Amino acid sequence: MIRFALADLKRLWAGSVVIVLLVALAVALGVGVTLQERALRLGSARAAEKFDVIVGAPGSETQLVLSAVFLQPAALPLMPGEVLAELNDDPRVEWAAPVGFGDFHAGYPIVGTTTTLIEGTAGGFSRGGMFRTEGEAVVGSAVPLQPGETIVPTHGQVEQGGHEHEGVRYRVSGRLNPTGTPWDRAILVPIQAVWHVHGMGLAPGHDEHGQGQGHGHEDEHAGHDHAGHDAAHENDEAHGHRGLDADAPLDEDWHRGALPGLPAVLVKPRTIADAYRLRQDYRADGRTLAVFPGEVLTSLYATLGDARQVLAVIASGTQLLVAAALLMVTVIHVGQRRRQIGALRAFGAPRSAVFGIVWLELSMLVGLGILLGYGGGYLAASLLSRAFAMQRGFSLPVGFTPEDGATLAILVAAAALLAALPAWLAYRQPPAAALRG
Amino acid sequence: MPCLHLDAAEVSFPGLPAPVLRIPRLEIAAGSQVAVIGPSGSGKSTLVNVITGLARPTQGRVFWDERDIARLSEGARDRWRGANIGLVMQDFHLFPGLSALENVLLPARLARVADGAIRARAGALLSRVGLSRPDQPVETLSRGEMQRVAAARALLRDPGVIVADEPTASLDAENGAVIAGLLLELAAQTGATLIVVTHDQRLISRLPRRIAMADGTVRSDSMAEVRP
Repeated sequence: MIRFALADLKRLWAGSVVIVLLVALAVALGVGVTLQERALRLGSARAAEKFDVIVGAPGSETQLVLSAVFLQPAALPLMPGEVLAELNDDPRVEWAAPVGFGDFHAGYPIVGTTTTLIEGTAGGFSRGGMFRTEGEAVVGSAVPLQPGETIVPTHGQVEQGGHEHEGVRYRVSGRLNPTGTPWDRAILVPIQAVWHVHGMGLAPGHDEHGQGQGHGHEDEHAGHDHAGHDAAHENDEAHGHRGLDADAPLDEDWHRGALPGLPAVLVKPRTIADAYRLRQDYRADGRTLAVFPGEVLTSLYATLGDARQVLAVIASGTQLLVAAALLMVTVIHVGQRRRQIGALRAFGAPRSAVFGIVWLELSMLVGLGILLGYGGGYLAASLLSRAFAMQRGFSLPVGFTPEDGATLAILVAAAALLAALPAWLAYRQPPAAALRG
Repeated sequence: MPCLHLDAAEVSFPGLPAPVLRIPRLEIAAGSQVAVIGPSGSGKSTLVNVITGLARPTQGRVFWDERDIARLSEGARDRWRGANIGLVMQDFHLFPGLSALENVLLPARLARVADGAIRARAGALLSRVGLSRPDQPVETLSRGEMQRVAAARALLRDPGVIVADEPTASLDAENGAVIAGLLLELAAQTGATLIVVTHDQRLISRLPRRIAMADGTVRSDSMAEVRP
């Protein structure tokens, strides 16, 4: 019977190929949506996993997470610099590190931070080591730079009208191991360098810039719109980048005078209970906002979940349409094969064999289509994830879970049931149709 | 070998004023060789359908020996036909993609009766009908060869009745004669009853009994003329 079914399908190969492809495409669509959504969820959860608590100025929680965890360029409001010193002194805090954004090199974000953060979040160095002076930089694994190479920061992204900081050069001191997070695309420099490049901070002779001006500037340089850029440009010229002293030693003591305003501080609490208390305290306090990135992401997924639902409905709709089209085609096809089916019966094949042949042929086609669809969906999701990883730096792990097995089983069962209808029609066909007329 | 006895068999379709087949009485003795002739539309094919169990008469009884196949269920008729009737049709009904041998064996395999003996018989039948390469794909055979394969398939389960529906109509004269001879010889050899629906005068002339059909009924029967 299998041999006959295969010979039959070979004879009808063009139609068979079309059916397999149709089924494969419809299934791949559904599988791709599921896998990609899961990958996005896992990937972003992994990106946020090292960041227990983020403290920023009151504003959008989502934006704070997107900027601090995913390094999405955006204008973040600033909070007073002394928050950093307070957090560092807090006994519930293991470490707290500032992050400062705004500059780029060849599209890679330059993030001002501290050695503590790099030690606390990255998985060690693949080449070179930590920055030791103000003019050194550590690059993530996705940044195509090697230790010893030079980085010219631009203020904002060039394609959005950013400009080079004249005379400012960082030298790469080390390259980090991959973490699979957006920070793989980051160029990490001492936060003091970011302050000095933008004419803020604690360096001797710069104190007169004071907090107010520092705030305003930081505000603008975080926003990369054109108006902001012009203002920043003037400001930069006024300061003339006198700030960066490439050979200056690192200064990570946050108690010597007023710190410039900060967009975000990453906090590593000692215990989970501490994490909750810290969030409580820094949320109640009018100057700051404290979030658990995981929690913010969860609420973001809830929103994304609606979009996913829409996609899933579209995918199921497509599958339903394909199933309906397939059913129509096979019912017509069985009608066209009345004579062949009748002949089989006339020569003594039992009805059950006729049912079996039609069912087997259709099931084999649809089954093959489903398997190809799973493969295709996986491939598509992997390619998308790879493209995404290249662009965004953080990997979206594509993988099947046991629940996919259940979906597969349901699909196969539905296909088997679907194939039974034309098979039943063939079963009911009178054998006299084999004769002429 | 079974003998056929039709008793008031009638096939009619709703909407048609007259039945397409109405045979008050017809007997075909076991082992006899019969030609069924008549113009198209005379009811020949319907008669074949009824006596092979492919279709059930609207009324009446169709006895093969003591068994009324008109009363059998669809599945039972299929089984009975598979075991007792060898069918040869005008359009061969061979299945492309399979070899000659596989085609001969296909119905038996689908009916799950293809044991070693049947397989051996299939090979023997193919060489008996003059086909030298049983593994040749059927789509590469000539028409004459295709009908030989069909004949071998009809004989595979050693049926008591061979029913051929225009077996020579789609062949040239030479191949037609070969197939006609083959059917007569094989029927004679196995003792099977041979019933041939045909327009082929040369084939008709080789069959001892002729049943002429017209308007769904038997117009004349050479046997009846001999034995009034």
